[in-house]
Amino acid sequence: MATKVIMPKQGLLMTEGYITKWLVPEGGKTVKGEPLFEMETDKLTITIEAPETGTLLKIIRGEDETVPITETIAIIGEEGEDISALLNETEESEVVEEKETTVISKDETSEKLVVTRKETDRIFITPRAKMRASEMNIDYTEINGSGPDGLIIERDVLSFEKHKVKTTPVAEKMIKENNLKAEDIKGSGIRGRITKQDVEGIISGVGRTSDRKGEIVPFRGMRKVISDRMMESIHGTAQANHRMRVDVSELIRLRNQLKESGLKVSYNDILVKIVSKALIEFPYMNSSLTEEGILLKDYVNMGLAVSVPNGLIVPNIKDADLMSLAEIAAHSSDLIQKALDGNLSQEEYSNGTFTISNLGMYDIDEFTAILNPPESGILAVGKIEKTPVAEGDNIVLKPMMTLSLTYDHRIIDGALAAQFLQRIKQLIMCPYLLL
Amino acid sequence: MSRKSYAIAIRDVLAEEMRRDDRVFVMGEDIAEQGGIYGCTRGLLEEFGPDRVRNTPISEAAFVGAGVGAALAGMRPVVELMYMDFAFVAADQILNQAAKIRYMYGGKATLPLVIRGQQGVGRGNAATHSQSIEAIFMHIPGLKVVMPSTPADAAGLLRTALRDNNPIMFFEHKILYNTKGEVPDDPDFMIPFGKANIVKEGKDATVIATSQYVGRAEKVAKQLEKEGISVEVIDPRTLVPFDTETVVNSVKKTGRAVVVHEAHKCGGVGAEIASIIMEEAFNYLDAPVIRLGAKSCPLPFNLGLENAVVPQEDDIEKAVKSVLYK
Amino acid sequence: MDKERLLWIYRKMQEIRKFEEKALELFEADKLRGSVHLYIGEEAIAATVCSLLKDTDYITSTHRGHGHCIAKGAELAPALAELMGKATGYCQGRGGSMHIADVTKGNLGANAIVGGGIPIAVGGALAAKLRGTDQVAVSFFGDGASNEGTAHESMNLASVWKLPVIFICENNGFGISTPVKQSTSVEDISVRSAAYDMPGYTVDGNDVLAINEVVTKAIERARKGEGPTLIECKTYRWLGHWTGDPQVYRTKEEVDAWKEKCPIKRLRNHLLENKISTEEEIQKIDEEVIAAVEYAEKFALESPEPDPSTAMDYVFYEN
Repeated sequence: MATKVIMPKQGLLMTEGYITKWLVPEGGKTVKGEPLFEMETDKLTITIEAPETGTLLKIIRGEDETVPITETIAIIGEEGEDISALLNETEESEVVEEKETTVISKDETSEKLVVTRKETDRIFITPRAKMRASEMNIDYTEINGSGPDGLIIERDVLSFEKHKVKTTPVAEKMIKENNLKAEDIKGSGIRGRITKQDVEGIISGVGRTSDRKGEIVPFRGMRKVISDRMMESIHGTAQANHRMRVDVSELIRLRNQLKESGLKVSYNDILVKIVSKALIEFPYMNSSLTEEGILLKDYVNMGLAVSVPNGLIVPNIKDADLMSLAEIAAHSSDLIQKALDGNLSQEEYSNGTFTISNLGMYDIDEFTAILNPPESGILAVGKIEKTPVAEGDNIVLKPMMTLSLTYDHRIIDGALAAQFLQRIKQLIMCPYLLL
Repeated sequence: MSRKSYAIAIRDVLAEEMRRDDRVFVMGEDIAEQGGIYGCTRGLLEEFGPDRVRNTPISEAAFVGAGVGAALAGMRPVVELMYMDFAFVAADQILNQAAKIRYMYGGKATLPLVIRGQQGVGRGNAATHSQSIEAIFMHIPGLKVVMPSTPADAAGLLRTALRDNNPIMFFEHKILYNTKGEVPDDPDFMIPFGKANIVKEGKDATVIATSQYVGRAEKVAKQLEKEGISVEVIDPRTLVPFDTETVVNSVKKTGRAVVVHEAHKCGGVGAEIASIIMEEAFNYLDAPVIRLGAKSCPLPFNLGLENAVVPQEDDIEKAVKSVLYK
Repeated sequence: MDKERLLWIYRKMQEIRKFEEKALELFEADKLRGSVHLYIGEEAIAATVCSLLKDTDYITSTHRGHGHCIAKGAELAPALAELMGKATGYCQGRGGSMHIADVTKGNLGANAIVGGGIPIAVGGALAAKLRGTDQVAVSFFGDGASNEGTAHESMNLASVWKLPVIFICENNGFGISTPVKQSTSVEDISVRSAAYDMPGYTVDGNDVLAINEVVTKAIERARKGEGPTLIECKTYRWLGHWTGDPQVYRTKEEVDAWKEKCPIKRLRNHLLENKISTEEEIQKIDEEVIAAVEYAEKFALESPEPDPSTAMDYVFYEN
């Protein structure tokens, strides 16, 4: 009995997913629980597991397609099984519930034209566009139409052809044989056609230096979300920044002692604990500006900026102020792992109250972070480095770290932010105050 | 070249052809002393006398039929209908007799008959005197159907009509009579039937227009040029024979077509042209063909109502943009 | 009237009669399709009128037009071939019985629209007048057509322009099934001439001599440029309106009575009684006519069908 694979809803607000890669080819074997395909949502890149063991009989929605949630994207069954009834059902139901999605297509005249295509299996194309596509040997099903209801018209075909990667037959063969991607190779032939020499250049590791024009990476998914949020942050708040150098000798000592006693924590975990305590003491630093007024939060959901392969995501430790260091450490490592795997649930990256961003592991001395709205503060943490500092009249080497606090000046004035930072410094230099 | 009005261009060709060929004569209502109500036969009586410039009784069936008989009997009559709408009074003689006789007689009869007159809106003549009825005559095989849109075309096409050996419906337009233009003086200036005029070249969309809508489409095309839209305007000039080649080639080039005429859209010439395009150039179409024509409503007397029924320049512009998905 | 013309009229009447009897036979044998409106019983009118015309004179005819066509000079073989839709027919199978024409003999055509041919005859006369020749045009039409607007418009126009037209109204008593009394305001259709200021006559349409007399006058008047004349010939249609007409509108007795007045028999008697001709002479004509009809039948049956690929030929004159 064949099973439909649907676009799974991942997170409360997800309405559609973008299929980036099928990990099992059509006709390939699937194993229940093993990865089946990769997709992106506006928040995540995620690997979805096969719901059944069997054969991937049909991939209905291919790579680079945006599919509304719950829509059937593939069918798994036994080899040779008749799935026509299931396919018809899929077509019918999709015709009935036509969902409009936005696709982006390039146009000759306007740089970017946003149009809608009804998400049915049927592709509408004008006779002229069809004729052109056939003349140019283009598979028009790959083209996004700019006409009404996604109708593919002649200019869409011409535009597609213009932006399509062209290769000579020899080059095409070489690309296949060497498992390369045509998209990655710069063509030096007529109208950017990829030639044998271009491929040889790539294979020999000597890329051609002429004609390097860079490449376009799709701007969508997480990248687009980050972009929007950063712009919202910069344009929507009054960001100011304070810095302070802190002697972390005691922090190191505390961590080592804990380690000896069997509790493995990171400096960041301790910082989470320290900052959480300070935030409870400085509620304005743990606030948001809302329509009703300044919302002072009496809980700390501590955000941790995690760098992931295609961007950045900030899961947060819920009620961090109430947690023990051990609990913080456990939650933190769990969230980071999930973030790296693209497995975060929406709840896990929502409702943060403050963020810590640590680039120490990248040897960064100090940096300015941008607020993660609607939070009002973010603490940027640099690396720990033995630094000559004055102790009395002597110069001694001490492990130092720079804290950089970005805060929203609409809510928080400089002195308050300074006091907050001072308090953190105090807690770092004397972590026993946490007790 | 001489600059003259559409009406005078017609009058001059009638006079020249009557001088050239004794068999040519004109008859119709009020065409002698009066010179026709739009002056297309003015002065002919004085030059050619009452035998060849005949005022008829108000008996359209009889004098159109007499034209058919005279043509069969070797003359080359030109019958003026004061309003083309009156062709319906003589419908049997035109549609059952003139159109079919040559065929019914196995090619043994020749019928060189020109039935000419004006039609269309613009003078507040209301429903029975403002119609554009060319489609009916295009529909019945055996008639050639001519629709000049300029003084030069009126002259060149009328001369061709007068030297043709077939029954011809020559549709003038009442509001074009006073339009002026350069007309060649060559006494043999003829425009062949079945040769469309590419009034304006363009590459984005083709507008096929007839009669007074040729000028209006050209005006819209010039307007759209400022917006970067390049419109090709084609005047078929004759509906029978129809220059399929020019129209189809244009549409193959542009991929888009709008057909505009004053006659009713329903069952109109535009439907025929749109079908020809679909049959001959389907693969080249990048948008459905749009037809513009009068609404299915008798033509009203009131100017505002009249304008609401027949296509306006704004409608042409919208249609062109629509086939361009703009 | 001289003997030669009388015998010509007799021969034409016999040709028409035998031709139509043959047409009927072929129709009943399903070798001939379409509407075939027979003229049997009315032959005197076409034959007598056309005996007075030259080849250059014009006639227009009706849906019941075989008689006019033959009398105006058509050959039987291509005429019958046309009735059978053959390629050798006068119209190459495009016209058939109702549209048979031979323009070269001045026949501007049979006309299947009642009243349709009347203005065309006026046009023929107008052409003659404009050219200044003495040609005349005869318009044959029936009692039914006399109620068409074209009849009245044409009579008025011909009269106003003093055109050489002879309007011959063949009153055969019925418009399909409707008796003249039910459809026509006047007892004698010829009185309508008064409305158009032209002479009008009513004659016995089965009497060759009577017809000859008035038509001669009318033609003379026309050739002199004095204008048109209306002549009503009262006659009777022996057969139904078309083959297969149930004829519920009349009695067998009425039909038989009219058969007694057969115009051919009448002329034959006249020729014999007045010793204008002999039995032998008439017998010979009859035999020649029968032979001609038999030849026509053979010719028509053996003639090829028109090539379907030529169906579009003759729509237009190719300049």
